[in-house]
Amino acid sequence: MNIKTLILIIINSLIALVIALLSFSSYKQFSNVLNDRILLQLNSIKTLKQNQIEHLLKSEWERFEASELYSENIDTSVLKIPDSILNRNGIYDFTAYHTTKKTTIGFISNSERGRMIKVFDYNKIKQILLERTGMGDSGESYLVGNDFRMRSQSRFYPNKTPYTISVKTKGVINAFKGINGRGVFEDYRGIEVYSVYSLIAVGNLKMVILSEIDVDEVTLPLKELKQRLLGITLGIFLLGVMLSLFLTRIITNPIKNMQKSLRIMAQGDYNQTNEFIKNSKEIKEMFDALANLKASLQGAVKFSDDIGKMNLHTDFKPKSSNDLLGKSLLAMRDKLIEFRNKEENTRILSKRMLVNGMEDERRRLSRELHDGVGPYLTSLKHYIENRVKNEEKKAEMKKIVDETISEIRLMSNALMPASIDDFGIGVTLTNFIERLKKSTTVTIEYEDLTLENSNITNHQAINLFRITQELINNSLKHADAKNIRITLSEFDEFVSLFYFDDGIGFDITTVKLGLGIINIKERVEICNGTITINATPGNTTFEIELPIEL
Amino acid sequence: MNEIKLIIADDHELFRNGLAELLRKHDDIKIVKTVGDGLEFMELINSRFEADIVLLDITMPNMDGFQVLKELKNLSSDIKPIVISMHNDGNYIAKCAKMGAYGYLLKNTDESELILAIRTVSNGKKYFSAEISEKMINFMSTQSISEDVLSNKETEVLGLIAKGLTTKEIAAKLFVSSRTIETHRANILKKLEVKNTAELIKKAAKMNLI
Repeated sequence: MNIKTLILIIINSLIALVIALLSFSSYKQFSNVLNDRILLQLNSIKTLKQNQIEHLLKSEWERFEASELYSENIDTSVLKIPDSILNRNGIYDFTAYHTTKKTTIGFISNSERGRMIKVFDYNKIKQILLERTGMGDSGESYLVGNDFRMRSQSRFYPNKTPYTISVKTKGVINAFKGINGRGVFEDYRGIEVYSVYSLIAVGNLKMVILSEIDVDEVTLPLKELKQRLLGITLGIFLLGVMLSLFLTRIITNPIKNMQKSLRIMAQGDYNQTNEFIKNSKEIKEMFDALANLKASLQGAVKFSDDIGKMNLHTDFKPKSSNDLLGKSLLAMRDKLIEFRNKEENTRILSKRMLVNGMEDERRRLSRELHDGVGPYLTSLKHYIENRVKNEEKKAEMKKIVDETISEIRLMSNALMPASIDDFGIGVTLTNFIERLKKSTTVTIEYEDLTLENSNITNHQAINLFRITQELINNSLKHADAKNIRITLSEFDEFVSLFYFDDGIGFDITTVKLGLGIINIKERVEICNGTITINATPGNTTFEIELPIEL
Repeated sequence: MNEIKLIIADDHELFRNGLAELLRKHDDIKIVKTVGDGLEFMELINSRFEADIVLLDITMPNMDGFQVLKELKNLSSDIKPIVISMHNDGNYIAKCAKMGAYGYLLKNTDESELILAIRTVSNGKKYFSAEISEKMINFMSTQSISEDVLSNKETEVLGLIAKGLTTKEIAAKLFVSSRTIETHRANILKKLEVKNTAELIKKAAKMNLI
């Protein structure tokens, strides 16, 4: 079940429950109040009428007793009163004795002077009963005789003789038992009514007066209330649904967005820049956290990208001590650095071995020429001195041999000057440049500032010599330089070869391999040195620095 | 006229033989012994073998000519060494001269000069030909060994510092790297036992270095 449905169900059932409870209790309360009010009102109306009737009967009785008019003023054709009643004084209900059962109340008084009988004017009671103030449309007050037959005219059956209507309702029964009360029950019509009832007992007359009103009429406002409550409930419920829909949108949209973001991230794309509406603090924080996560992952991705490109000096800080990804990336980087260093060392080592092998070979050849071939040539010269008699030929041959020896010497020196082993780089360069000066018009000045007990290794010396050879060669061949200045300074910590020429310079980035710059750089590298090249026209400088390793 | 007793020390037999044959033509020179390396020669000397002059090669196995010169000097031997070498660089010549060689000859020296050298040396004089001397002097002139506290270069740098030049300016002027000048400067400060430029100038002026 998705969160939207869940929220909708929870919120709306809550709303429904609250509304139902509220409606029910207010309805109940209202209906109770209404009941009480109606019954109270009916009671007061009934009591008023009861009092009025009792008072009327009593006053009429008193007037009757007081009157001296002895006559049996009754129509005996319609009223057949048995003697048993006639002999007794009092107020009577004669309805039963009436031929048409017309409600008739009469007074009987027997005295020495005679018998007085009077039929009471029922219209007076009727007037009281018909007074219907506060009785609504269906309210009615009526009288019931002890034979449970109605005595007053029913509002609802105006053409029926009251006597024919039997009223054996709960109220009447109770009232004749002497219980005055109120209640809701079915009246003589079989319709639910609010009813209050009490017994009227004046003289021998016993009648029950009831004031009743139809439940249907009374509960009309209740029905209206019910409808209104239903309307309100429906309205609130609809509002609740709408609000909760809105709420779920507020809550679920960011969650959906988050889900979308996370899904994109799960696919490995950390560069999405979707902006989301952040409508609350929590959601803002959630997205901030997501952004943090994204940034962190982006950092890791960038870092691994850098590592992948072998940019191993990229720095990276794990987000926390629990950042396993960051830690393993760092470990990977360190391992790669280690591998690269090893590889670099191996590369430099193999290059160094290659160069050393080459230099050893050159040295061997140089020595072979200088110390092997050289002496043979001198021997040849001795032979000529000793054996050739022709002075002219002798001189010529000696000259050729001398020239050959000179050539051998040059070759040997070019290959590898013996000085480098016997005297070190400082002197070797001095000799080399002295010799060179004789064969070029370019001014070359060399300053040897190596120490007397030099700490420059033979390996460094050979490479410095080769570098200088290459640099001078470049200046003479390509640079069109007029002046070359070389300084070799040795210190406790390092040896610095500074080379200057005022030639045309070159573009460091596009310089051809032929210029031997690569070669020079490689030689600096295998000596663990540094090189700084500045090649502007008229001022080309090379600063080469090798560490003194004791 | 006394015979000049001569030893030839060279690792090439062919050369020794050729040289011997060359010298044999001269009556006043007698080759008393030829040896193949420095060690053999020194054994000979230590056994009180008599000789006036040794024609000494520099590049030899076991013990080279330089070491032989050193040993001879240590022993205060009477044998006068003449170096005969393939090396024609000033530094070799200067070193040999410094180490007590009476002469320096190139192996392809003409017979006449060889004889002249031997005779000159046997008379107790040193023999360095004009060409050899020039090479030696040329080389020695490039060597700048200062007796002062500061090296020549350091003095030069100090002078430029005193003139108020920056490190970069000095470096450009002296054709060295900035770091070289910085190191020179640091070394000068250390040697003069001062901490900063102001103190340096003061002390240098006091010592008449600038």
